[in-house]
Amino acid sequence: MKVASQDFLQQAHEALRAKDKVERRDLLGQFMPAARDAAANAYGDFDGLRAHMKRVRGHTTEHLAHYLQQFEEAAVAHGNQVHFAATAEQLNSTVLSICQTHNARRVAKGKSMVTEETGLNELLLKAGLEVLETDLGEYIIQQAGEAPSHIVGPAFHKSLAEVRELFLAKHKLGERALESVSDIVEEARGVLRERFLAADVGIIGANALIAEHGTTMLVTNEGNGDLCANLPPVLIICTTFERLLPRAEDAMALQRLLVRSATGQSHTCYTSFYSGPRREDDVDGPLETHIILLDNKRSDILASDYHEILDCIRCGACLNHCPIYIGVGGHAYGWVYPGPMGSVLTPLLTSLEQSHDLPNACTSCGRCAEVCPANIPLPDLLRDLRQEESAQQLKPARWRRGLRLHAWLLRQPVLYQRLTGWSMSALGLLGKRRGAFRRMPFASGWTSQRDFPAPEAGGTFMRQYAARKRRGGRRG
Amino acid sequence: MAESVRAALFARLRERSPAPAEPAEIARALATIGYATAARMPHADLHTAFIANVLANKGTLELALDRGAAVRAIGRYLYKRFRTHKLVAGNDPRLAAMPWRDGGVLPRFGAAEPGDAAALSYARLGVAETGAIVTFTGRANPGRNNLLPEDHLVLVNREDVVATLEDAWAKIRIETGAGAWPRGIQFIAGPSSTADVEAQLVLGAHGPCRWHVILVGDTPAQALEQARGELPEA
Ligand code: SF4
Repeated sequence: MKVASQDFLQQAHEALRAKDKVERRDLLGQFMPAARDAAANAYGDFDGLRAHMKRVRGHTTEHLAHYLQQFEEAAVAHGNQVHFAATAEQLNSTVLSICQTHNARRVAKGKSMVTEETGLNELLLKAGLEVLETDLGEYIIQQAGEAPSHIVGPAFHKSLAEVRELFLAKHKLGERALESVSDIVEEARGVLRERFLAADVGIIGANALIAEHGTTMLVTNEGNGDLCANLPPVLIICTTFERLLPRAEDAMALQRLLVRSATGQSHTCYTSFYSGPRREDDVDGPLETHIILLDNKRSDILASDYHEILDCIRCGACLNHCPIYIGVGGHAYGWVYPGPMGSVLTPLLTSLEQSHDLPNACTSCGRCAEVCPANIPLPDLLRDLRQEESAQQLKPARWRRGLRLHAWLLRQPVLYQRLTGWSMSALGLLGKRRGAFRRMPFASGWTSQRDFPAPEAGGTFMRQYAARKRRGGRRG
Repeated sequence: MAESVRAALFARLRERSPAPAEPAEIARALATIGYATAARMPHADLHTAFIANVLANKGTLELALDRGAAVRAIGRYLYKRFRTHKLVAGNDPRLAAMPWRDGGVLPRFGAAEPGDAAALSYARLGVAETGAIVTFTGRANPGRNNLLPEDHLVLVNREDVVATLEDAWAKIRIETGAGAWPRGIQFIAGPSSTADVEAQLVLGAHGPCRWHVILVGDTPAQALEQARGELPEA
């Protein structure tokens, strides 16, 4: 997918102007965290589960070559063809050549962030193939010609009325009401069912690769991924090596974390482990299966200080809890992965130069790290990226001069305290009557949306602290 | 090209652990990590917990004392839903041996076709922790039987219900021990669903719209009432 993260600020501004979408996201930002919390509390020791997973992941990463080899050997023994792709282009061309070998015309896809990342659909369409996204959210945005706005619910930004319009325009099914969400789902089910049955190739992702058995785990609610994995004669699984886990039990621990963090469910409808092509005992299933392992800079990330981001299980909880994501929505981020995880991943998978605004789209509130089931220190990683941004001088010169001045001032405590003391008194006096300012020099970005509160009497923190100390009251 | 990509990746990964450990050593390190603790159960009794979670998963559940009762329950279900007694079922010897005539049910044994409204599976396991049932793909239960029909009916023996997902894998390991690894192992917990439009849950996305579990064996009726919250736990 083309990167548009360099225009983050512009895109964010535009997103904030669409009031109805802002309201939708506000609801999402209330509803999803509440669902996640309820599920985590009902679990019992959810934090213990997170800590357990962190240990398993740490161990796996330490012995990644061992586990990758174990997985590859077992998967090949099951009859899979295992491919390695260093770049997005290599993955795409591998998929295309498999399709061409089979003279395939129709491809049915389950939800796969990896193929969003590589822009696979575009290439397949250009080569004349029919590519159908079958996850309902993905199908909707594919029909609308849009990118996903959320990694779990790609079409969360669309209202029922918008989906209705879209279906009426795209499905030539004559007059019909199509009024409720159930009507929409039923229509999609009918339209897609035939195309599942006619597909020549199925493409899915994987939530985990189980080293000991050479199987891949697929977690879905709709059952679309499983139809892709069971009906077409050829199955291609597009995935990445950091999905590796040693044992099936580890994949189950991951599933427990994933479902609760993603949707607040305590289970998903389908958790499937696929091992390869049709067996002697099988009467259905693909005749040929391929597993493509994409690197796309992940081995660089693994060797860097940002390696913990590879533990991300794509649950979307950090998006739902992020005030910036809820504020501006997924499309503003300009690439496949939005929110806190995207603000870390996008600079690493594309370039910091193109996306250096993203690590700045952070209030350092820490909610993402609080809920991340993989215990990834997202705010720290974002801070480190900002530091790199600064070291690479990617910010405008004026901004950098301002920051340097600020840093210098912070190192002069006496001067700093005097200056802040004076300005506080001055602002306090000026704003005494209204208690707030409508406009402020150098702060129009703030005051364009809200008032700036005038400081209350009593002086700066340091002044109050010193006064209290003088009074000697420990009671404060 | 492909081989060099593979070799380069392995070389990079090996860089990270300069002194590659022996497989036995790695296995020991992994064993000390152990397994996770499972989710809290809704009921102390294993079967009541399983039933409660099946219902929480928007499934429906019936108790059947034996296979005869199960056949009759299937007959009633099909007649109520479809006014027919047609059903597709995998070539599971356990299913073949059922007294079908008792319930007036006419199963067709094989893989589900697009027109089939209802399919029946005999589960290998039930998992109380998630209210899931486990099937293996193969002649006994073709993968599409779980996915294509409107209604998916599942029989599960009382003694095949285990507590946690780890317990389920312990059993799966034994069953697949002989080297016959199935093409697919599916944990199914509910009818297919989606919340992709307006974050509103709708049952019957791409897979079955209804999921009906019949627990076969001597389960006291009050387990079902307790699971439904109609009776306080003993
Ligand atoms: S970073 Fe954590 S919270 Fe965010 S999607 Fe990944 S696993 Fe979920």
